[in-house]
Amino acid sequence: MGSQSVCLDSRVLHWQPSAGAQVTSQTLVDLFRSIESMNGVRTGRWQITAAQHRPFTRDQAMAIDCAKELLGVAFSEFASKHYFVLRAERMVVEADSSIQAIMEKLQVYRNRLSMVFEGFQYQLGDFQLKAGRAVLSQAENLRGIVLEVEYSPVSSIEKTRQMMQEFVDLWQEAISAQSMSGRISLLEPNFAEYALSDTYTWQHTALQYIFLFAYFLSQSQRA
Amino acid sequence: MECVVQGIIEAQHVEALDVLLQGLCEGQREAVKTHEICLKKSLETGTVASELHLLCDLSKRPQIWTVKHIGGAMRGTGAEQLPALVRNIVESKMSNNALRFFYAVGYKMDYELLRDGFAYRFQRAFPITVTVTSVCRLPKQHSIDEATPVTPNIQLVEVTAPATADNFSDVVPAISSFAEHLSPLVNLSKPGSFAGIVSTASTAAASLLSRSDRLEHRV
Repeated sequence: MGSQSVCLDSRVLHWQPSAGAQVTSQTLVDLFRSIESMNGVRTGRWQITAAQHRPFTRDQAMAIDCAKELLGVAFSEFASKHYFVLRAERMVVEADSSIQAIMEKLQVYRNRLSMVFEGFQYQLGDFQLKAGRAVLSQAENLRGIVLEVEYSPVSSIEKTRQMMQEFVDLWQEAISAQSMSGRISLLEPNFAEYALSDTYTWQHTALQYIFLFAYFLSQSQRA
Repeated sequence: MECVVQGIIEAQHVEALDVLLQGLCEGQREAVKTHEICLKKSLETGTVASELHLLCDLSKRPQIWTVKHIGGAMRGTGAEQLPALVRNIVESKMSNNALRFFYAVGYKMDYELLRDGFAYRFQRAFPITVTVTSVCRLPKQHSIDEATPVTPNIQLVEVTAPATADNFSDVVPAISSFAEHLSPLVNLSKPGSFAGIVSTASTAAASLLSRSDRLEHRV
């Protein structure tokens, strides 16, 4: 599919506050501090946008048989590509970013809402960490905190699983030392169900962010 | 956007056209084998203003899928007087589940075909692509290996160049000027303005091929 930006094996995690605790901007600041306490070096900013689209039906009688929900993801560090996820159909699609212009012309779906994930990224040995907030676009209130751990040396999910878990455990210890009320939590999609292989790709990352997007939306609906 | 002219050539003269293009394009020849699936919405009523095509480039490994949205042609008196068609076009490469994706978002296959032939890509003032292909029908759905030419004795010649709203008025003459070089063998015109085959193509082809043979013998 043309030139690929480097894709590291990645786990997308989120901050799960303890019962009764709130997720606030201070929580995010404390998480940045926890990374810095492990000698993580801040290397820059990052941003990921996830969007939910619904069928664009002017006339109910003309409603076409199509997926009731189309989810999209775009990465600022790999801006030439765009990803779609159809959850009911168990499908992840990778396309050039021009696919958005095509979908706009087709007028089959309209954007219902978008969520922006943004924050700082850090380098820590072979690991690259992202920590940031999740907010609905055009809004300021915090929907959640996302944490991403990327590991460079290998790209087989099974091989890096233990390595990632050990790192997350270390990070959790650093967080506990700051007496923060909560823990790092993982929502791991079943990659095989979405026909994704054991070799890690941007499609794996896209699927994880979509799962997190859906999770944060469902949490705010329950609140 | 893109600018397009098209024409047809008898299959017996394709070799001569290849020789002519080699000379004009300095040998940048590529194989073309494209499975083309034309999609339409499941509930399409009235005339369709735009087209959605899914193309699978079978000449490459791994195969590359591209979706192409072809918008309406430029309109107006000025556009009608242009010797080439100027139309809006947006393309995107996609993962190989592209067809399943479009079925899921409410599209179905209208028809499919195989384009089999060759292309030359080269740079003059603008990048120009010439494709010479046999358009083949598939007797059963996706049966690429059983494809047969729709018109066994006739092949399609297309000359295209990408353009923008700012430069199409320069790209069109560039394509027309290039098309003139091919006029001994093929009449190129706007799609829809059928110009027929060149009646003197046999003579031109014979001349080209004999000149090419003489050059080869000298080398």
